[in-house]
Amino acid sequence: MFSISKDFAPPLKLIAPFFRLGVIFYLLSMLALLFFEPTFSYQQMDVAGWIHLFLLGFVMMIIFGAMAQLIPVVLEVGHVVVDVYYIILPLLGVGTIVMIFGFWMMPSLLPYGGLLVLVAMIIFAFENIATLKKSTLNNLTVSTVKWSNAYLLLGILTGFSIALGFAGSLNVNISLMLKAHVYAVLGGYVLLTIMGLSLTLIPMFSLAHGFDEKAIQIAFKLVVAGVGTVFAGALLGFEWFMLLGYLITFGGVAFYLWQIYIIAKLTVRKELDVWAKSMIFAFGTLIFSMMTGVVFLLSNSEVMLHTTVWFFLLGFVSSMITGHLYKIVPFLVWFERFAPLVGKEKVPMLHEMYSKEGAAMMFNFTALGVISGGFGLLFESNIMFKAGGSFLFAGAIFLYITMKKMLAYGSEN
Amino acid sequence: MCDISKEKVFEAISTVIDPEVGFNLVEMGLIYDAIVDEACNVHVIMTLSTQGCPLHQMIKQWVYEAVEKLDGVGTIEVEVVWEPAWNISMADDNVKKALGGM
Repeated sequence: MFSISKDFAPPLKLIAPFFRLGVIFYLLSMLALLFFEPTFSYQQMDVAGWIHLFLLGFVMMIIFGAMAQLIPVVLEVGHVVVDVYYIILPLLGVGTIVMIFGFWMMPSLLPYGGLLVLVAMIIFAFENIATLKKSTLNNLTVSTVKWSNAYLLLGILTGFSIALGFAGSLNVNISLMLKAHVYAVLGGYVLLTIMGLSLTLIPMFSLAHGFDEKAIQIAFKLVVAGVGTVFAGALLGFEWFMLLGYLITFGGVAFYLWQIYIIAKLTVRKELDVWAKSMIFAFGTLIFSMMTGVVFLLSNSEVMLHTTVWFFLLGFVSSMITGHLYKIVPFLVWFERFAPLVGKEKVPMLHEMYSKEGAAMMFNFTALGVISGGFGLLFESNIMFKAGGSFLFAGAIFLYITMKKMLAYGSEN
Repeated sequence: MCDISKEKVFEAISTVIDPEVGFNLVEMGLIYDAIVDEACNVHVIMTLSTQGCPLHQMIKQWVYEAVEKLDGVGTIEVEVVWEPAWNISMADDNVKKALGGM
């Protein structure tokens, strides 16, 4: 008799709070959007507060929870110390809240919130690195995890320096440090992590097989090089170096999209469930944000920068995450509550564990909100931006309700 | 003399359902072979739809437990292989149709 994969899989009670809290932060960030005008500047403190609410509270929280589950799957070894995730959760959650208050009300709080987040991320990165060392695998996803964690550490260190700068404890050029910080976190961690994980998850859920991986290998090298170039350019104050870095990264994203096209052509599953729709929308918005990004590089227009970041974060990153939640969460719940019952009694299928109507409402409202809000930013139209925010908030409510039901499914058994 | 046939082994394994797609492993075409020797020892050769499948060990265990229910079975070995790699053409027509591959 052989051991089962439960040896590697963290328990649901460890992972579920990350998803639960992440979705609550998403709901709050969509609510907060209603109080913004489309004519803001990204350097405003309240905008920085919103970005951190969304990125730390939602994106990072969900990615950390997902990584707790997926690292053993990807690396084929168990975590070195999986229990550190019990510490990471409150540190990241409280740190995020303190930082938001710091940005919105009391800048002197920023270093304290930043320190909590810094500690959470250092623990996360070092646990990941220690687990990586245990693995004998040396494939593309493993390399992605290594590089993304390295950039995460750089992003956090620059972010913490900015927090100290805001509080007056450190003399740094905040404007340059901000660019290095944003690029290390968004390009170096979020984009690389999504690229790496999507290469495992998308073929798995779409049943696509036997595809050539050359495009993603080039994409990965270009994004790593591009982020490094922008980071160095920002720290050294070389604008032309940063521009070169942006172009290299854009080239990397183009190859990534080409890889996704190759996988899509081999997809066996044609069913358009909420995951498939979210993937189509995510890549559609990524293409659009690249187009507006090119216009930004040519025009240096702040409006184009805002539009690019909007479609990248709320279109691509958000849809990649929410779409996958409807695959990962039912699986985790099923694995914990129903897998032991296989062969003994009837167990549900994964797609039966969430409301199709609720998921469809989540997707429709969110897609409408992203498009309306994005064009509101582009044309500086208050009514379109407010409508977008309202649709996104409605979508977030449906996400929260469906997620709550998924996590509770079968708990009465 | 062993009265367990390859067909009986396949029939037993057909009770194992992949919870993601909702089809049993046999109709998915994931079971490549079942070798039964004279002492009723069973060697199942199978694959999975993806190498990174998080249910890898569990599915092996379910196959083991399904075969274990056969009367008179001896030792059981479940081997997961990646060559030839699974593709949709190995599945039954009803699976292809349901997944949209036909």
